[in-house]
Amino acid sequence: MSRGFSITARLRPELVATITATVAVIATLAVAATLLALGGHSPGDAFAALARGAFGTWDRFVSFTLVRATPLLLTGLAVALAFRARVWNIGAEGQLHAGALAGVAVALLLPGAGAVLALPITLLAAAAAGALWASVPAAMKTEMGVGEVITTLLMNFVALFLAQFLVQGPLRESRGVFNQTDEIPAAAHLPALLPDTRLHLGFLFGVVIAVTLWLFLTRTPGGFRIRAAGASVRAAEVSGRFSVTPVIWLSFLASGAIAGLAGWIQIAGVTHRMYEGLSPGWGYTAIAVALLARLHPLAVVVTAIVFGALSAGGGAMQREAGVPEVWVRGIEALVILAVLTADRIVQGMAASRD
Amino acid sequence: MNRHLPHTTALALLGALACNPAPGPTGDDGTPSVALLTSGPVSDAGWHAGAYEGLQLIGNLLGFRISHQQTRTPAEFDEAFISYAEAGYGLIFGHGFEYQDAASRAAKQYPDVTFVISSGSRPSANVVPLIFHLNEATYLAGMAAAAVSQSGVLGMVGGVEIPSAKGTFVAFEAGVRAVNPDATVLETFIGNWDDVSAAKEAAAAQLRQGADVLIHNVDAASFGFFQAVREVREGGREAWAFGMNRNQNDVAPDVIVGSAVIDIPAMFLRTARAWEAGTLSDEVLYSGIAAGAVDFVPNPAQDGVIPDDVLAAIDRARDEIVAGALVVPRIEFVEGL
Repeated sequence: MSRGFSITARLRPELVATITATVAVIATLAVAATLLALGGHSPGDAFAALARGAFGTWDRFVSFTLVRATPLLLTGLAVALAFRARVWNIGAEGQLHAGALAGVAVALLLPGAGAVLALPITLLAAAAAGALWASVPAAMKTEMGVGEVITTLLMNFVALFLAQFLVQGPLRESRGVFNQTDEIPAAAHLPALLPDTRLHLGFLFGVVIAVTLWLFLTRTPGGFRIRAAGASVRAAEVSGRFSVTPVIWLSFLASGAIAGLAGWIQIAGVTHRMYEGLSPGWGYTAIAVALLARLHPLAVVVTAIVFGALSAGGGAMQREAGVPEVWVRGIEALVILAVLTADRIVQGMAASRD
Repeated sequence: MNRHLPHTTALALLGALACNPAPGPTGDDGTPSVALLTSGPVSDAGWHAGAYEGLQLIGNLLGFRISHQQTRTPAEFDEAFISYAEAGYGLIFGHGFEYQDAASRAAKQYPDVTFVISSGSRPSANVVPLIFHLNEATYLAGMAAAAVSQSGVLGMVGGVEIPSAKGTFVAFEAGVRAVNPDATVLETFIGNWDDVSAAKEAAAAQLRQGADVLIHNVDAASFGFFQAVREVREGGREAWAFGMNRNQNDVAPDVIVGSAVIDIPAMFLRTARAWEAGTLSDEVLYSGIAAGAVDFVPNPAQDGVIPDDVLAAIDRARDEIVAGALVVPRIEFVEGL
């Protein structure tokens, strides 16, 4: 949209946009503050706790915010890639669970896999399972023309129930008491990314995938096709240069694989067990993460950290300012709304210049 | 370039706020600090509400500093334990078996902090499982239920099929059979604790199968459970419900015969006192009827529904449980037993 404008021509509108965006953020925060005050909570304390919980110390930022950002980063990238090709994959949540189950199953059932190979094998299994989960809606779309919004969404429920069944049955801990799997062997744990923090290698994987996706989309013919299909399926087809079907397949499978990795990485890096309530809905939040990043892989890194910070800060808001969880989630939603509004304003300004 | 501006703005605003120093939870006066983690809302009028009440008792009666966090995923459990331990909280309650793993991890890192895990399964130097023998109360409830039931069909609606929940049903069924050996007892687990409509459907299904007395072991979903019983009654059929975990007699006084109650607040208070006095052992804390921690409480609003001779039999059974003459069936889940 704004591409091709000279720096000088952009300067003033950008300044205006920044000011407007800041005002929008502050206005929405003011609404949140009013709500907090009405609920009998000190807005100052609440927001200070939110900020401290997310950024208060280096360790808070790394061990809490970035750890929480990791599954959002991976699922956000999965959604962004699919949406780029106009493949409306609402199924990251299900693909995440498929990946988590595959990773756990391989880690637990292949004890002799060898320490060195445990991680690569489980990561591959998770990516494959995520892709497999995405292949069902992909086939239904390309072969039968069934809209993927419905199919990917429904596949989420299948995955959730499958996870519930496996955790209560075949994959249940050997003690047979609780609905959780046994702990995965140490060889399958993702090592720490930074010593003495909870941050694991999974975050780095996310960043590497983000850069790879960005290079792929901008520098390769395959990436060009995805962008072309995303811009207009009809135009891409009419041009006769390439068929859209392989592009749809590629987007579905790659998207599913990345979401599958998200699930297993969360277990290998953080929980070391599969539980029934593994995800609080990362696959759905991922849609907001991706949209806020305007489907740009590198921007997804930033938006995932923003969402991670909000959720880490939300915990601190409860602990330190005594704000109940439902309020915290309401405030989180308002902050997201503020950022989205500001984003729209900036984009609107840019568009009006074109 | 400019598409990143809003994020930068938001990050800068939060960064500015982050510079505010945190209020010290332990303060300069060295007031002990106690924290509570729950995995559900404290407005459930049951399991979580009891814990929150206990925390408030600790704050009001002992003057401790208190804090509560509702957590959703296991990753958040670690985060919350670490945050509280680092902020100087000396006693942290994790209200549910699901906190066991995270508590064991945090306990190694913070040996000076005591972690009390409700329905915990793995005691260690500073991890203390707090186990409520609610099954003793559901046994008595089962006796009452069998006497109230006309059809001889009774129903149980549970949340997640975990040993502590399953144990309350095993005992309920035993109580039913102590009074009516031929009774049919239905069992459904809805898979979670707070899906109101799932609990309502499960209860309605059991009522359709002829059950006329139901007990639940869910949390916030109990509102739907009671509603199902209420609707059957409005349809002109006799049906009754039993409350669980907390004294729920006033939650639905029109349909509840009585509640199997854990006095969670009192147990929390007692635990906090023992911790302060340094007498909290590193062993499992068991608490049943004998400890005054659980009991079956008939609903005064439905006086007369339970026949007097059955009430007398319940009193005798209670005495036998206290004396150790009657051992109520339960499901053990502490490791090493």
